[in-house]
Amino acid sequence: MPDLRPHHSRLFAAWHAGGALLLLGMSLWLYLLGEYERIPLPAILSLLMLVATLLNTTGDEQSRMAAYLALVCGYLLIAVELPRQSGLPLLWVGLPPVLTLLLLPLAPAMLLNLSLTPIWLALLGEGELDSQTLLGYLSLVIVAALIPWEQARQHALLRATDPRDSECSANGRETLHEGLASEIDRAGMLGQPLAVLLIHLPQLDMVGEQFGPRARQALLDSLCQAVASRRRDHDTLGREGQADFWLVMPDTTESSALLMQQRLLQALDQITLMDTGHVAARMRLCRLKAGESWPRFEQRLEAGSESLAIG
Amino acid sequence: MQTKYKIGLLRGNLLVAAVLLALLAMATTTLTEALLLWLSATWLATSALLMAFNHRRPVTVPWQLLPGLLLAALLWVAPERHVTWLWAWAVLLMLPQPRWILLLETLLALATWWPLRELLGLEQWTLSGLGLAALMLLGLSRALDLRTLRKSALSRARLVPGLTLWPGSRLPRDLALERSRSLREGVHAELLLLHAPRHQSWSLAQRLCHLTHSFEHCYRLDSRTLATVLISRDRHQANERRGMLWRSLGARGPARAIPLSGLASLDAERLALARQPAGLLVIEEPSHA
Repeated sequence: MPDLRPHHSRLFAAWHAGGALLLLGMSLWLYLLGEYERIPLPAILSLLMLVATLLNTTGDEQSRMAAYLALVCGYLLIAVELPRQSGLPLLWVGLPPVLTLLLLPLAPAMLLNLSLTPIWLALLGEGELDSQTLLGYLSLVIVAALIPWEQARQHALLRATDPRDSECSANGRETLHEGLASEIDRAGMLGQPLAVLLIHLPQLDMVGEQFGPRARQALLDSLCQAVASRRRDHDTLGREGQADFWLVMPDTTESSALLMQQRLLQALDQITLMDTGHVAARMRLCRLKAGESWPRFEQRLEAGSESLAIG
Repeated sequence: MQTKYKIGLLRGNLLVAAVLLALLAMATTTLTEALLLWLSATWLATSALLMAFNHRRPVTVPWQLLPGLLLAALLWVAPERHVTWLWAWAVLLMLPQPRWILLLETLLALATWWPLRELLGLEQWTLSGLGLAALMLLGLSRALDLRTLRKSALSRARLVPGLTLWPGSRLPRDLALERSRSLREGVHAELLLLHAPRHQSWSLAQRLCHLTHSFEHCYRLDSRTLATVLISRDRHQANERRGMLWRSLGARGPARAIPLSGLASLDAERLALARQPAGLLVIEEPSHA
């Protein structure tokens, strides 16, 4: 499953930078107070937060790492500083689990929260284990977890109901197969021909590995755009596999389907991308035979796509 | 579906949370606290029972307001025992909800933190305020992630996973598409508008989806109006299919069928549907078409 969290990385980076500044301010404050032995921790942590800020600005993969760094900073600060502030343990015991839930995905966050229960209670509860505090902590952990759950549910729901592929403007595989089945129904009922153009992008894997995700995205987008500009309104492009696409053309005879293939190849020929240069695409036409059932046609299309990928 | 989402786990989590809150409620001494906690527990348990995996129940405003209000009330009534919950404001902001509720929750968080000053002492009060503000910012940025995703996906997402039931905002575009396509292919296409009683609207929509062909999409225009586009070879087949659909649907409200070639404006047809008596009204195709 692709990571569904397109972090607002600028906001996240700003948040981390703010954290670094706060910690720096704290060390200065301690310096002014003259408590020199307490200075190293916030000073080091502010450096760590600075690293996290930089990680956040560089890219999506590093943001998870940055979240863990921020979490470690938060934990250390709470663990070292809070026991000094003799006050309400009930207040501070709620801070670490919420921080964890906000920074990490649900499953690792819950695991950490539950396994760290005795540590937080011992650190902040001044040694004595109080059942009221324990109950408060546990219910906060469980109740607060509901909200990331709800978020995950919304994500999954959007994924399940969104007809589009997650990477490009083509339809997703589910929608493609469903739409194709319904087009076959329609063609059968109205007695119309149906053609499917199988398209394979042989460069896609190599581009992703050599030039990175941005070049790969550009390649995908160029195919989708070329198809969108040449297809008729009721033709639909769907993504069958990583590099395999099907263009479903209802009510299309063989000659007009071949014409379409020709025009599409020409359109792709005119595109030059920065990293890959020329866009290569293999295509093959498949037509629905009279009386052919959907499962058989589906099998034939899948086999066609596979042999197209092999070359 | 790539992700098989386990709704049962969420339901379990909701129920466990409800039980924990009930335990907390039993441990309290004053009546108001107990009442608030019991109310929260009931709210969670009810949510668990109502939870379903579709876009059917767009959460209503009072339902979204309730957790914030309960949290605020709990923190006002007995801050010395429930101050742990102060941090929950940060996660609460993560819920998908309208902007004004986010604002209200921020204000409530401020209003519950402010009176803690006497309880905590100046230093801890300031520290907790800073911490809370930082966490709330983090929560807000997480909420923004989902918001952008939702905005782009909701307009094109189907309403129930697996059903060809689409939001009404898609209908005008699909109508234009289908009109030109049916004209080219020489088939008969017509728009069927149905009025559904509010409480039956979802079950009727489901039946409509099952009774129509897979290439005939269904739309939910609002809480009482459903639509579908019927496609048949010619007018004769259309009459036959429409009659059969109407009989097996078992709908009793007003409905009208308009051939796409004679459809001038969707809004006008919806108005006409609202004024029409019960029963299926078939609009004839204009003779010159």
